[in-house]
Amino acid sequence: MKRYFGSTRGRSVTTLFVVAAGLSLFVAACGGSGNKSSNSGSVVDNPKCGNGNGQKPTGTPIKIGGIATKQPGTDFTDGVLTTKAYFDCVNANGGINGHPVKYIYETEQTDPAQNAALARKLVETEGVVGMAGGFSLIECDVNHSYYEQKGIGVLNAGIAPSCWASPNSAPVNMGPRYSSDGATQAVIRQDVDKISFDQSNVPGTGYIAAGPKIVADAAGIPIQENTDNVPIQDANSVAVKLTQQAGPNGAVVLNFTPPEALKILQAAQQQGLEDSVKAWGCSTPCNTDFLAQALGTKWDGKLLVNAELNVTDFDGPDSELYRSVMKKYGQNVAGGLGSFSQMGYLMGEFMTNALEKVQGPYTVKSVNDQVFALKDQKTDILCRPWYFGQAPLHIPNNVDRTTTPDNGHMVQKEDCFDISADDPDIAKVRQIEQADPSLTGGS
Amino acid sequence: MPSWHDFQPFIVTGLALGGVYALSGAGMVVLYRTTGVLNLAFGAVGAMSALIAWDLINNSLWPEWPAYGVAVLIAAGITLAYGVIIGPALARRDALVKATATLGLALILLGAMSWIWSDKARSQVLPTSTHAFDIGQVAVTWTQVIAFGLGVVVVFGTAAFLNYTNLGTAMRGLANDREITATLGVPVRWVEAQAWLVSGILSGVSGLLLSDLVGLDAVSLTFLVISSLAAALIAQLRSLLITFFAALVVGLVSALATPITSISEYRNMAPFVIATIALLVISRKREISFTGTGLGNGRG
Repeated sequence: MKRYFGSTRGRSVTTLFVVAAGLSLFVAACGGSGNKSSNSGSVVDNPKCGNGNGQKPTGTPIKIGGIATKQPGTDFTDGVLTTKAYFDCVNANGGINGHPVKYIYETEQTDPAQNAALARKLVETEGVVGMAGGFSLIECDVNHSYYEQKGIGVLNAGIAPSCWASPNSAPVNMGPRYSSDGATQAVIRQDVDKISFDQSNVPGTGYIAAGPKIVADAAGIPIQENTDNVPIQDANSVAVKLTQQAGPNGAVVLNFTPPEALKILQAAQQQGLEDSVKAWGCSTPCNTDFLAQALGTKWDGKLLVNAELNVTDFDGPDSELYRSVMKKYGQNVAGGLGSFSQMGYLMGEFMTNALEKVQGPYTVKSVNDQVFALKDQKTDILCRPWYFGQAPLHIPNNVDRTTTPDNGHMVQKEDCFDISADDPDIAKVRQIEQADPSLTGGS
Repeated sequence: MPSWHDFQPFIVTGLALGGVYALSGAGMVVLYRTTGVLNLAFGAVGAMSALIAWDLINNSLWPEWPAYGVAVLIAAGITLAYGVIIGPALARRDALVKATATLGLALILLGAMSWIWSDKARSQVLPTSTHAFDIGQVAVTWTQVIAFGLGVVVVFGTAAFLNYTNLGTAMRGLANDREITATLGVPVRWVEAQAWLVSGILSGVSGLLLSDLVGLDAVSLTFLVISSLAAALIAQLRSLLITFFAALVVGLVSALATPITSISEYRNMAPFVIATIALLVISRKREISFTGTGLGNGRG
């Protein structure tokens, strides 16, 4: 036995370890860079946000808060990081009437007690005077009563039903339910005869799935609802299941974060299933160039993604400012250009517009009076102007587009269309907008 | 209930996943039998390997196969380093302490991966997945074939290695009694280092295969070790053959439950349920102890 364990082998193992460790360090060093999206579309080197005077503000900071989900399989911190990037841009351009904005965000792990504590910490301990950046799976449900009690109007990009059902919450997004409605509408327009809808098994799935079901039922198309635990561990099986359910003239509609949706789409592609159904749809999270790049060209024109927001390379002033802010201040936004960062940008922009109108001291009341007064917020990132306003519920983003991958980028496939008013709350919001057309820039 | 025809593709996906679970399970069992360490960092090392390969190919523009080779080498290096540096310090500690220590390594690696690569969407398609063939109406990729085939080869090859080579005999000797084996002139640390190295290579290969079959996601890959662990536990961390078949059962049950709507969302429980049932059945026959005989530390 001795001959097998001589010192030569001992040295070779040591050598192997040293080589491996060296390579490990080398790769780790490489890995820290180069994984950001290339910003397509025009940008300016020194974006001007807020006052745009290039002066450093010297006043007392205006504290604004935000809460985002960050847990395995669900990371929404791109949103708050981009809101922070916008405020960094504001602060580099004179701040708000000479005051810098101090943005304080917390991350949560879908624990209601934790969410309740974080909101109270931000408002009562940190002393934030406004909330811009609710990127959470459950925060709206947990904290909407608290915000109503405190008179705080929250700008958010929510998931939980209360985000669209509270007088004190106005999302810049339409959320997974109405975005899934839009994706369902897009595949229905492809004349499919059955739909298989799948989403992550997280709180609120029943509320979300109800929307596509209402839309499909109204069109007389059967729909099969599924949920899958995330992180998905058997994407091949999931892809087979969904395509079997939909059938050759049917459609698969996904409502997942980009990494999870990518697993299913990639698995379908590897098994040659991308053409086994008539159409593929996906809610807004899929509207990111990272997904398009990772998928390759096989899904170009085939995957219909509901886009609550415009394509990131749109040639418009606000889209250009968004890209410029991302380039200069948003380098730590992991997903780069995409829906989550667009939402974060809009929250920063709208909150800045409200803050600029405050007369006198920045208090919870003075700030939120202006937040509630926000209306006709024009931006080329949305299909039409955004508003907060006084209303029992808010779904100000209820008109959107369809995009599709095209050679590594998401491009527009369908222009702005109304989310179906078959969904009851959309019908209510349309009535509110008709009663006060100034909310969306009408008279 | 889906038809037999509908179930067929899930047999393919289940066998492929089961093959990789067997591969991983074999790595865990060999290491456990030799060192007494239940390596809970197996999945995290595999995830690191997969992400390194992705990084080398996509950011450093390396050719694919050298990148895969280096990634597996690094996985082997990380595992070997742990075994050589940390392993001896814990050699006389309880098996539970040793297992918990590897959990620490898993968490360190998970944190490092999150820090270096973030959670953004990325994918890794192995060259073997760009070609598929049909069995009936079921498309089978070569990665799925390799995953299953490699599981078979590694399990049976390792069993033969342990039974018919001097190093294998030394490893089995360590499993039976470390002290006595050492007094017989077997260089214990060298043999253990070999086991750590083999385990690291298997974790690297498993990580690469799973990054294609499951997805390139650090968290998913790290915790997929649970399915392999279930198979290894069913085999009482001893029998490679039972590990192999248990892994196939875990993979198949998980996959075949997918199209059954009423139980589909509970299919991730399959490894736990199967392992629990198996252990309960085994426990009726004899007492199970984590540190003594039975499940034991491989030395009883």
